[in-house]
Amino acid sequence: MVALLVGMCPGLDEGLLRSLRAADIRTVEDLVSSDIEDLAQKCSVSYKALFAVRRVLLAQHTAFPVSGADLYEELLSSTAILSTGNPSLDKLLDSGLYTGEITELTGGPGSGKSQVCFGVAVHIAYHLKQSVIYIDTTGGLTAGRLLQMLQTETNNRDEQMEALQRIHTFRLFDVCALLDCLYGLSGGGGGGLHMACVGGGSVKALIVDSVSAVIAPLLGGKQNEGMSLMRQVAAALKTMAKDFSVAVLVTNHVTRSGSGEAQPGLGVSWSHVPTTRILLERVESGASGRRSATLIKSSRQACLIKEDFDLQWWSRAEGGRGGGGGGETSGKRKLDETDP
Amino acid sequence: KRAAVSAVRMKRPVSSLSLGSSLKGKLVRAGFQFTTDLQDLNPEHLSAEAGVSQQEALEALQAASSGHGVAPVTALELLQKEEEFRSIVTFCSQLDEALGGGVPVGKVTEICGAPGVGKTQLCLQLAVDVQVPAVFGGLGGQVLFVDTEGGFQVQRLVDLAGAAVRHCSLLAEDEEQRVAMTTFTVETILSNVRCRDYVELLAELHLLADFLSNRPRLRLLVIDSVAFPFLRLHDDLSQRTRLLQGLGLRLIAAATGHNIAVVTTNHMTTRLHSSQAQLAPALGDVWGHAPSIRLLLRWEESRRLASIVKSPAAPHRLHHLSVAVVTEALWMFG
Repeated sequence: MVALLVGMCPGLDEGLLRSLRAADIRTVEDLVSSDIEDLAQKCSVSYKALFAVRRVLLAQHTAFPVSGADLYEELLSSTAILSTGNPSLDKLLDSGLYTGEITELTGGPGSGKSQVCFGVAVHIAYHLKQSVIYIDTTGGLTAGRLLQMLQTETNNRDEQMEALQRIHTFRLFDVCALLDCLYGLSGGGGGGLHMACVGGGSVKALIVDSVSAVIAPLLGGKQNEGMSLMRQVAAALKTMAKDFSVAVLVTNHVTRSGSGEAQPGLGVSWSHVPTTRILLERVESGASGRRSATLIKSSRQACLIKEDFDLQWWSRAEGGRGGGGGGETSGKRKLDETDP
Repeated sequence: KRAAVSAVRMKRPVSSLSLGSSLKGKLVRAGFQFTTDLQDLNPEHLSAEAGVSQQEALEALQAASSGHGVAPVTALELLQKEEEFRSIVTFCSQLDEALGGGVPVGKVTEICGAPGVGKTQLCLQLAVDVQVPAVFGGLGGQVLFVDTEGGFQVQRLVDLAGAAVRHCSLLAEDEEQRVAMTTFTVETILSNVRCRDYVELLAELHLLADFLSNRPRLRLLVIDSVAFPFLRLHDDLSQRTRLLQGLGLRLIAAATGHNIAVVTTNHMTTRLHSSQAQLAPALGDVWGHAPSIRLLLRWEESRRLASIVKSPAAPHRLHHLSVAVVTEALWMFG
């Protein structure tokens, strides 16, 4: 709903505005959807003038369709794929995290969601040399662990410190602070922090661990603001992903369904928000670092593909690292170390 | 070649501001959809336009112009901050090693176990250990012990404190340490607060923020146990879930905001997993996400075993370790 203001278009002056307000027409939508003849009589304004104003407003505020080919071109030129650093996860994600999309990791306590987020942040900061924004709502962010992971990548202290400086962290514990932070980053707060200022303009990933910790306490019961705030967060994340071309990675908790199966939390309303969802589970047998990841929602691959991987991948010794992924399979451009 | 970052500015909808919902409704109906619409308006104008009181208009304008959030902290700065605070040693070297030095400050640690395995014991030990003066490698901090079950025994605490004092006085080598010993006595435990049910516990925790800002030397908060007050809330599980989530958030905020170590204890319950009964920590997955570190204590024959089932540290630290305890009085000597 856009308010009618003086000077919005030629012909919309104080006098006209006042008479429209008197007729209870306050927004562009009200004006456009009302009967012009009727309105002209009520406000004692000429029909032609009102019609002209309406036409200009319509032209200013309509949406224009874009052809599919143009969209595809735009997508090809603006989307990048960020590898997570772990080949098994990359296989599930169809080469990695896509910018412009929200990817969700869900799992029970101790299933490794935060560890995967650390690993991704370290990989992007060190190998891809891009800035990462890490929003922590669980209190689990331990810089010592990030340093440990970096120490297995390189022994050079300066490089470690440099990579650590590319990870920008926020610690927030309620949803209003989260919204303030997200809008502050996108410059919507009217100044202050802006994505372009953080990391010198090369932020490529935004990690929110976890989004359910701040939203879940607001849902249910007699609280009606919860759903609205959840939608606000979803809208903010989606717009940021698209407008700033960043890959958004969020984590979610699980709830148990009647049969004891694990389901992602935050309900059906949230399930439409992420484009890709992965469920992490502990593998009962095997070493303590092993987890299994199942793809439960994806627009690019068949669902329910399972991959076993090791949480220790991001902190393994030099010798264990194998070669990179295979060649490109389609017109996807993969963001790698060689990009300027 | 990557395109330059455009000066894209997302417009913030008024409905995302932290104002009352009726106020937000009035603003949106009057056509103010984004905070940019509210800029450059004075309160009188806004209250006339939207039909709200002057007070509400002022509130709305303040919220619209102030919400930037906090500045980010780089991981490097976070690392430096983390290295500033030591962990609370448990005096059991294997446990300390597995925990990476001890119970960390700034995180919520949970101790789970069956009744009688020694959770309260460990909490009492930590309550003494946090007060060890800095010159001896401790934190020299104060402790708040919230007891919901009535398991707090002052006499036991006196024994543990006495043992710690003796241990440190044997180590005292220089003048500084001897001076510290004079203030390291049992009387420095801050307060023994006893709560009976979840309402009291929650009320106590609502007041926590003020309590903590008045006591900058507080380094440990123990809640023994967090499960007990909630175990009787069977009839309204969704309310219990919400209360637990809110509680978890508040504890984490207190831990990180005031640099204290929060230690909670939890009971064990039986969970059916593919028709097999297993012992699992109580309060479900809902509470399971709150603590950053989970320590499981259990009996095996006549020994106590401790395993770390959740931790932000490297997975290879999550090995089962054996805590050999001969008698309780010798606990702190490993």
